[in-house]
Amino acid sequence: MRWPVTLPAKGRSFPIALASFIVLQAVAALFFVADVTADLWTTALGAHSVLEALVTSVLLIGIVLSVAQLRWTLREMEMQGRALEVASGDFVRFIERQFDSWSLTDAERDVGFLALKGCDIREIAELRGRAAGTIRAQLASIYSKANVAGHPQFVSYFVEELLSRASERSQDQREDQPKAAAS
Amino acid sequence: MIDLSEKQDAQGGAKIAPPDPWDPLVRVTHWVIAGAVLWNGLISKPGGTVHVWIGWIALVVLALRVLWGFVGPREARFASFLPDPRRAVAHLLSLLRGRVREHPSHNPAGAIMVYALWLSLALVIATGLQMTEWKNPVTISEEKAAVAAGDWSVLVNNATESDEHSEDMSLSRLIKQVHELAANLMLVLAVVHVAGVVVESMALKRNLVRPMIRGRS
Repeated sequence: MRWPVTLPAKGRSFPIALASFIVLQAVAALFFVADVTADLWTTALGAHSVLEALVTSVLLIGIVLSVAQLRWTLREMEMQGRALEVASGDFVRFIERQFDSWSLTDAERDVGFLALKGCDIREIAELRGRAAGTIRAQLASIYSKANVAGHPQFVSYFVEELLSRASERSQDQREDQPKAAAS
Repeated sequence: MIDLSEKQDAQGGAKIAPPDPWDPLVRVTHWVIAGAVLWNGLISKPGGTVHVWIGWIALVVLALRVLWGFVGPREARFASFLPDPRRAVAHLLSLLRGRVREHPSHNPAGAIMVYALWLSLALVIATGLQMTEWKNPVTISEEKAAVAAGDWSVLVNNATESDEHSEDMSLSRLIKQVHELAANLMLVLAVVHVAGVVVESMALKRNLVRPMIRGRS
């Protein structure tokens, strides 16, 4: 079983805004380019047309940089998504190992996953097409095998693991920073 | 609740399917060009200022998309959907048999459609530019304003030029015909394109339009 990984919606609206901006920039630039070439064609080279040509080239460079920025942002988001997937894959593997060590049955594993995802008994019963009583019995069996008192303690068992990983990671980063600065 | 992606992976789907969503530049340029084609093909007055403006905007957006075809993400690059008529026919045949395969970018038949649409659009733009003598829309509206204000010198200049070269007249008529023919071809292709997306969506049991608008919510 895999947990769906999605990037937060907030981070995704930036690239679309940037892409729309690039299109607008390009439309604007074309009219400047057309105007400047027409001017240079018809009139002699003067201070006015030189300045116009300069402004146009700055605009064009801006577009190239925006395109590079968009490309970079997309690559960054892709890498973040992959890292998140790896992390979530690690976490799922940890849960599976834990389930193994408690020797849960296949049915109990599925119910355990759904309980961790935050489904209540009625929802789990519906999803699995079983009676609520069956699910309640399976949950009770899971909790006794895991030696926890109930749902909150069961969840916090895994949350604790996640938090300890997070603090390890931030420590790693702190140790990495001086090295990066030195090199 | 239960993620289906693993199931799709087992069938060789999901992992190699087109991106969901497509990258933002592909999405923006797709819809701007779609809007430009529909507006200029069906609504705006041919030869009018709006028509020329939209044509120029389509030119820029097409140029951007072509640039993105070289520097964009993998699935947006030409290299991932090179035209291959043999594979396109094979894809259409597999569609008829109801057994479609996922492709990482456009499917081979879709790729041919993409190039057909871009080429006809380029042809429409090039002939359109020739018809307006490469004048930008600002100049054109300025000239129109001048004529409306009673200054007909622009018209006289244009008229004497075309009278002097009667061969040019038949050439410009030909260009006008190519412009209209290519524009109509593009509208027909657009209809086929939409029909193709619908059929492919039904065959894959997946909405292929959504990734072009926005990704998974």
